[in-house]
Amino acid sequence: MDSFYLAVMVATALVLLAAFSSLLAFRFGAPLLLLFLGIGLLAGVDGLGIDFSNNGLAYVLGSTALAVILFDSGYGTTLQSFRTAALPSLTLASLGVVLTACLVGLLAMLVLDFTFIEGALLGSIVASTDAAAVFFLLRIGGINIRDKVRSTLEVESGTNDPMAIFLTMALVQLVAAGEGYAGFDFELLILFFEQMGLGFVCGLIGGVIIHFVLKRLNIERGLAPILMLAMALMVFGVTGVLGGSGFLAVYVAGIYAGNRKIPARTTITRFQEGITWLAQIIMFLVLGLLATPSEFLTILLPSVLLGLFLVFIARPLAVWLCLLPFDYTQREMGFIGWVGLRGAVSILLGIVPIIGGLENGQLYFNTVFIIVMMSLVLQGWSIKTVATRLKLIIPPRIGAIDKVELDLPGNANHELLAYRVAAGSPVALGERIPRWAHPSLVIRDGKSMRYQYAGRLQENDHVYLFIAPGYSGLIDRLFASKAPVSESDEAFFGTFQIAPNRPVEEVLQAYGPMSASEAEAEMTVADLIEHRIGGKAHYGDRVRLHNIVLIVVDTDENGRISKVGVSMEPVAPATSLPIFLDLPEIRSRIRTYFAKRKRLRAIRQTSGKPDQKEA
Amino acid sequence: MALADLIAQNAVLPALKANSKKQLLQEMSAKAASLTGLPEREIFDVILQRERLGSTGVGNGIAIPHGKMGNLDRIVGVFARLDQPVNFEALDDEPVDLVVLLLAPEGAGADHLKALSRIARVMRDSDLVEKMRATDDAASLYAFLSDSQASNAA
Repeated sequence: MDSFYLAVMVATALVLLAAFSSLLAFRFGAPLLLLFLGIGLLAGVDGLGIDFSNNGLAYVLGSTALAVILFDSGYGTTLQSFRTAALPSLTLASLGVVLTACLVGLLAMLVLDFTFIEGALLGSIVASTDAAAVFFLLRIGGINIRDKVRSTLEVESGTNDPMAIFLTMALVQLVAAGEGYAGFDFELLILFFEQMGLGFVCGLIGGVIIHFVLKRLNIERGLAPILMLAMALMVFGVTGVLGGSGFLAVYVAGIYAGNRKIPARTTITRFQEGITWLAQIIMFLVLGLLATPSEFLTILLPSVLLGLFLVFIARPLAVWLCLLPFDYTQREMGFIGWVGLRGAVSILLGIVPIIGGLENGQLYFNTVFIIVMMSLVLQGWSIKTVATRLKLIIPPRIGAIDKVELDLPGNANHELLAYRVAAGSPVALGERIPRWAHPSLVIRDGKSMRYQYAGRLQENDHVYLFIAPGYSGLIDRLFASKAPVSESDEAFFGTFQIAPNRPVEEVLQAYGPMSASEAEAEMTVADLIEHRIGGKAHYGDRVRLHNIVLIVVDTDENGRISKVGVSMEPVAPATSLPIFLDLPEIRSRIRTYFAKRKRLRAIRQTSGKPDQKEA
Repeated sequence: MALADLIAQNAVLPALKANSKKQLLQEMSAKAASLTGLPEREIFDVILQRERLGSTGVGNGIAIPHGKMGNLDRIVGVFARLDQPVNFEALDDEPVDLVVLLLAPEGAGADHLKALSRIARVMRDSDLVEKMRATDDAASLYAFLSDSQASNAA
């Protein structure tokens, strides 16, 4: 029994240490997940000496944690961002994963003396971007990146895990069976569609059931999140038993459940947030504990080479090829290419060759571990800098606000908001709060009073109001301090502004020739943007019109677009190096090249002899 | 590409006098007409048409009116500096005193946009803009436009 208490003590101590390390991470901007991994390594066999080498247990723990994380990623993905990014993201998650795996595989043949199949196995282990790492950096990292780019990265990282997991499992079996290329048969393809198809269908059904149960059964508020989590894991388990991809299923179920109206939403969201943190800490700690860094030295050089290749060549190349058919600018492709963070999923998959009984199983694990560490350091640390450099960050429209939202019991059509009045905010300057917001209570210097008797609001007053859900954005503005305007705003909002109520035809005349259907040419600029987005436009939304980008700079109180910016970003690339070119640019470069040759030839013919002078 | 590639030496109006946005655009259209041989009225109409879509005053006292012309064979720019700023309905409601007018051939497409974006970027350089405001000498203004490349290498 003593050993049991000891184990509990050590385990909780590690989790606590990881939780405390977050303070450090926020102060220094270090990738938090790297710290978790580091703590695991430090406590492990080569550090404090905790000898944990139970691969099976680590795999089970890691997979369960991953299921929890994937469910939460789905839960937090709005349907709108899924729609924006579904096609490009799924291309990245399927074709992109295969491309990355093959490219890494080719290099592995060279530096590790692998066969191609073995190389591809290594490649598929590191091919998926880590949902946990990407979500963490994009959401909690405190930067607000362009919608399209963020959605693409998020949906990609959620959907490419199942793909990489499938590939890894399949290739481990192939290598173990020693069949070589003969193993790439029709059956494998069928298995793929079976797994993904089942995963998708089961996930959808699971999502419907989760929603139904939570909505219909009047469950104790505190129990609701537990119920949801248990059902999510149930979906994971059942799908796996049926032979589908459980990881895809939880993600899909999460998307479905997260986009439906569910009672006790705030309680659930908070719980999800906490449990996802815990899942991440456990996953990285356990994987860190499992590793034996003293073995790393022998394969350090090839692993570092592979890591550099993955970060600088394989991932960017795969991203570029996958996104070519879609409307991404050079900067956007560059950023997506850079944010290919690898994380716990890859390390987790690194265990599979060991469990699968491959003779050099440990080699895979160690190599993958080093590659992941490199990716976390290189990409994790630089993500904010790169986003700023590429001008992909949405400048804040309003300054900081300090507010608390509370769910009201019963089926109330109002939520309770509590704001602190910020200095310099419109309300502090005398702006009245609209009556529909039901301003009710003001707390000033610890004394509460009714809004009617409070007079002009003062700095640091707390104001309580009841509003219909969905209108808080308008009230936010009243309580926010002034937004700081920075240099990059101009780059973000475009060079010129145009009136949203003018016909698109005038835009075509001014900036054409460009492609737009006749129906689109007759719309107003605002209608076109809303039509392309497929719903209400939001601040910062972008619609590309051939060589220009229309940007929603502001919306009015009815949610209609009130200001539109025109950006020439597609023709003003961040670098003139021929990387991440989009299709129109490639066409234009080819045309210029041939025109130049033609001119040169014409000069040669007229002068009768070769002329070296540039035309 | 320095701005001097777009704006010829004789296309610089160092101390233009105008009382209104309309008069300013007329004066600059006249200059553009003399450079290109196109009718002044046509140029003015094209520029005005674009202004109807939204003012090209980009803020900080700078405006970049522009438009496309059917029978033009190259991109042509005119630079004007005003002693007295005029109201241009600009983004920030500040009156305008540095104006670059740009005309592009109908089929210029990407080149037209590149030129516009280039001008906007150069005119965002506050040091350069200060220097331009401080002189009414055509040759110095043209010199600033010529080495706008160097000061904006980043």
